[in-house]
Amino acid sequence: MISAPLSRRGFLAGLGGVGAASLLGACATGSDDSSGSAASTTLTLQSSLSDPDPKAALTKVVEGYTKNKTTLNTIAIETFRAQLPTYLNSGNPPDVLTWYAGSVARDYASKGFLLDVSDLWTGSGPCANFSPALKELSTAEGKQIFIPTNYYWWGVFYRKSAFQEWGVQVPTTWDEFIAVCKTIKSKGVAPLSMGTGSTPWVASGWFDYLNLRVNGAEFHRELLAGKHSFDSAEVKTVMDHYRQLVEYIDPKGRSYSWQDAVTPLASKKAGMYLIGAFISSAVPQDQVDDLDFFRVPIIDPSVPLAEEAPTDGYFASAKSRNAAGAKDLLAYLASAPAQQQFIELAKSSNLPTSPTVDTSKFSPLVQKGIELLNDSKAITQFFNRDSSDELQTTADTALTKFLDRPGDVNKILTEWQASAKKVLGS
Amino acid sequence: MTTVALEKPRRKRKVPPVVWAFLAVPALVELGMVFWPALNSFYLSFTEWNGLGAAQPVGLENFRNLASDETFRGAFQNNVIWAVGFGGLSVLGGLALALALNRPRRGVGLYRSAIYLPMVFSLAVTGLFWRVQYQPDGTINTFLGAIGLESLEKQWLADPDTALYAVLVAAVWRQVGYVMVLYLAGLKSTDPLLDDASAVDGASAWQRFRFVTWPQLRGVNTVVFAVTVIDSLRTFDIVWAMTQGGPYHSSELLSTYMFQQGFTFLNLGYASAIAVVIFALALIFIITYLVRATKEEAA
Amino acid sequence: MSTATLTPPAVDTADEAPVNRRKRGWGFHAVMAPLTLIWVAPMVFVFVLAFRSFDDIAARGTAAWPTSFSFDGFSEAMGRGAMGRALWTSIQVTVPAVLLSLLLASWAAYALSRFNIPGRRLILLTMLAGNLLPPQILLIPVSRVMESLGIYDTLVALVIIHVGFGLGFYTFVLHGFMRSIPAELTEAARIDGAGPVQIYARIIMPLCRPSLAALGALATTWIFNDLIWAITVLRTEAKLPVTAALLNLQGGYVSNWNVVAAASVIAAVPTAIVFFAFQRHFVSGLLMGSTK
Repeated sequence: MISAPLSRRGFLAGLGGVGAASLLGACATGSDDSSGSAASTTLTLQSSLSDPDPKAALTKVVEGYTKNKTTLNTIAIETFRAQLPTYLNSGNPPDVLTWYAGSVARDYASKGFLLDVSDLWTGSGPCANFSPALKELSTAEGKQIFIPTNYYWWGVFYRKSAFQEWGVQVPTTWDEFIAVCKTIKSKGVAPLSMGTGSTPWVASGWFDYLNLRVNGAEFHRELLAGKHSFDSAEVKTVMDHYRQLVEYIDPKGRSYSWQDAVTPLASKKAGMYLIGAFISSAVPQDQVDDLDFFRVPIIDPSVPLAEEAPTDGYFASAKSRNAAGAKDLLAYLASAPAQQQFIELAKSSNLPTSPTVDTSKFSPLVQKGIELLNDSKAITQFFNRDSSDELQTTADTALTKFLDRPGDVNKILTEWQASAKKVLGS
Repeated sequence: MTTVALEKPRRKRKVPPVVWAFLAVPALVELGMVFWPALNSFYLSFTEWNGLGAAQPVGLENFRNLASDETFRGAFQNNVIWAVGFGGLSVLGGLALALALNRPRRGVGLYRSAIYLPMVFSLAVTGLFWRVQYQPDGTINTFLGAIGLESLEKQWLADPDTALYAVLVAAVWRQVGYVMVLYLAGLKSTDPLLDDASAVDGASAWQRFRFVTWPQLRGVNTVVFAVTVIDSLRTFDIVWAMTQGGPYHSSELLSTYMFQQGFTFLNLGYASAIAVVIFALALIFIITYLVRATKEEAA
Repeated sequence: MSTATLTPPAVDTADEAPVNRRKRGWGFHAVMAPLTLIWVAPMVFVFVLAFRSFDDIAARGTAAWPTSFSFDGFSEAMGRGAMGRALWTSIQVTVPAVLLSLLLASWAAYALSRFNIPGRRLILLTMLAGNLLPPQILLIPVSRVMESLGIYDTLVALVIIHVGFGLGFYTFVLHGFMRSIPAELTEAARIDGAGPVQIYARIIMPLCRPSLAALGALATTWIFNDLIWAITVLRTEAKLPVTAALLNLQGGYVSNWNVVAAASVIAAVPTAIVFFAFQRHFVSGLLMGSTK
């Protein structure tokens, strides 16, 4: 009992001699030596897959990996999101972490957090036969830093039987879509469900899509990279469209998480829900066959068709004590059998990244999703994945505020631009 | 309890070395775990640091940025509202309930237990309890609907006008029992004969409270004050569990904003500057409390 | 409650007629009964919710009158939700942290209260001031210090920080109590040849038992209920204590209200037990140490 305080005293005395500036640096780097010996054999996989089914699925997949002892650590996604930079930045970070491909991974790579896994992408590496688009998505400054293992599509989900009851058809144009909303509303049902309470990022779904439909994928990417302004005329047009939707969005959604907002859809108290294909794991099992989706309606036919297809996977920490082990684990996770096992057990509608997984036996809904993506001319990820987790928080603030006070749109966009500039400038 | 050990200052006697050790060990633990980190925070608040490499000294820039940061100003305001609302309501409520439930009569024990039961729950548990009530179709809205007040139904935690207060209500709900228990104990040590005598003399209830009971509660007040301030400065859990500061920062407190800046954005220097501001706010309370504590020590 | 019986019998005042008193009694219950009901309503509601089935809640909402009774919420929370493990973790943190805090605090309080240490009032108040610091100011450096000690993400780190952060307050309270122990008691032992350690162990500590029990109860609820330190120094799911695990579980079972409610009940029970077991100590001891 006495030894702990004494050793700390030694530690403090040692620190006391140095200047304060180098001190903390010494703390952060000094840990490399002190705790290095202990943790090199066991691998840690830090996972944000906290919903019961995906969590159970990943647990099963990791159990199948026997080469290194691996601990799966599941942290609730919203906590994980808030703490991810801290995980990566710590002296003894987790070896492998779940997260997203695209700019968001590049952002972390640019800070020096991520392990170079280029060798998994060449020769007989497990990712060597992945599509060039996926490789591009996983590349930062000429090196691969990400291992994609599955992706999914976004669409406007609805219940077929509900559409029949209400006598509405799947819309393909914006005007038809608004008309459908109007009809559903006249039945006393909220046309659109959207859980923006504890998961405010859901509000970015419509923003992304409207921007893709109005201004196109090129502009969208540039906007998120800071090359256009959030209070530009183009974004204002996007918000004009968003504003038309506000009256059709279930106001209770502001208190819901994305999962909560599935319940009204399932019980036919809400009509449609723009969300990712992961929705199928949140719908009651007996309703999955009744679930269908359609492409977000076309607004300007001259804009090349673009869809969001977020890619999930893993990256490894640059400071991993067992880089070889981490890469080996990544290779296992990227392998076709592991991908297939995960997708089946997770009950999601995610698609495998490995071309060797046979998708022909996947459900009709998934086939339709594959088709949707094949038809599109451009693929984007999602707001945070195409920018950074930090920029996402500016979008969350702006868009949830907009949903509350659509009349203040100009002021909100000005504020958004100001806070985005701060994030992008830093 | 009233036995004040009026000790004469002890004769000068040499302090045995083992006693020095008794003092040194805890003092060093506190030094290492509290004062040293706190000093580091002060230093960091004058730097820009993302956790990698060395911190870059930037002088007062973090504080200048804070002054123009609207989220920070909102959080600051919310913190003032929080301190006043949380402290005021729980002390008033706790004192009122303690006075009402002080004298034994039928049912008092039941009432007391019911009211102080919440205080044993953690703030996170309390937050979850109340999140359930605040759901759009939760008990509160259902109740309002049932008694014909649909117009008052709200998205309590999603409405920027109500979110902070909704969290506040939950926090006060937990704290009132705490304060009540402390006051009940304090009232027990007051002299009931004094109260009765003044009643005979024709003093009104308010006069009796103000001039007879209240002065006797001085000691308890110090404790209540300490407990309330400590708890109010520690407020983080319940906001984190209920709203995480949302919707769009409307229930943000300095502590949640600091946590976000420090652990989500890794703006460690900026976050430390916020922490320093929290410290400065706390200092007012700390000094008040220490002055009182010193007086008591000297008494 | 046992506390009520300790109150001296109220002396009836002469000027109040019995009728008047009865009327006031009714008024009292008319206010207190509904207030109490409102007070317990949230707890009862969550408790009931915990025993409803998922389908019942999904179909009819959280506020509906329950039509189902099931232990699914509890079995899920204890099973896949791992609340049982989290409870055990919390105990592993709370017990050593409380014991160590009280031990160290009693050392410091003993030294400061019974010996003529120069500047002892300043030392005492400085230690107390340290406890009053907002934890936010310590978060970032503490997580760094833990890392550099190589104990980041271990329960040891959590125990140490709880001990360090609570010491000032416990010392202050114990100091107040030890000071009130008459000097004659220790003086006699000293003349009999007892050294400072014997006096501490044989006289002071036994006398302090009530306030140690009180502080122990208080510290237990504080440490057991902590969230901010746990999420600052821990990141491994299997090491999360109850409060942090509860939030983690809530993030995973977002719309499974019965599981979330059951888990909150599980998290609430231990502190409730400690509180009711130590209730008397809890209040009286705290006041004993701080009021004169």
